Amino acid sequence: MDRLSNAEQRELETRMQQKQMKEFMNVFSGLVNHCFDACVDDFTTKSLVQRETGCVSRCVQKFMAGSERIGQRFQEEQAKMMQNPPPGR
Amino acid sequence: MSLFGLGRPQPSSAEKIAAAEAEMDLITTMFNQLQQACMKKCIPKDYREGEINKGEGVCIDRCAAKFFDVQMKVSELLQAEAAAKGGALGGGFGVGGM
Repeated sequence: MDRLSNAEQRELETRMQQKQMKEFMNVFSGLVNHCFDACVDDFTTKSLVQRETGCVSRCVQKFMAGSERIGQRFQEEQAKMMQNPPPGR
Repeated sequence: MSLFGLGRPQPSSAEKIAAAEAEMDLITTMFNQLQQACMKKCIPKDYREGEINKGEGVCIDRCAAKFFDVQMKVSELLQAEAAAKGGALGGGFGVGGM
């Protein structure tokens, strides 16, 4: 990848920020869907029962923890790939 | 005589930024796929506790490693296929031309 000038770097950063916002919204809505699907099944009442609230809380926590770990493995792999590019690149 | 790579104009600003953006997109997509795949395979849906236990953690590590291996393998296989198909075509032309 060619070096980018300062102006180009700034432009890229702005776009990255926009992408991060978009990505965050994706993660958020995905997580809502996932935890709702996994935890909410009692429709005898309108409000969440305690079991469901607890479940959603653990669901989000667990997702974040899992995501973090996957992120670490991913970064390690990226670092490895930088050092040994795979054949055919 | 090589026509490519000689006298190629420098990529414009927009092209460089687009290329960098495309690379970031690729990495983001890869990460999301990895995340979805390994969360599905390793994290059971009952959510009895908020933390990742040791078994799940190890599962994630192994899942990530295998995912990258599969990626590498599929890439190699596709390249081999393309080379085989390209070779079949190119061989025909080459024999005809020589």
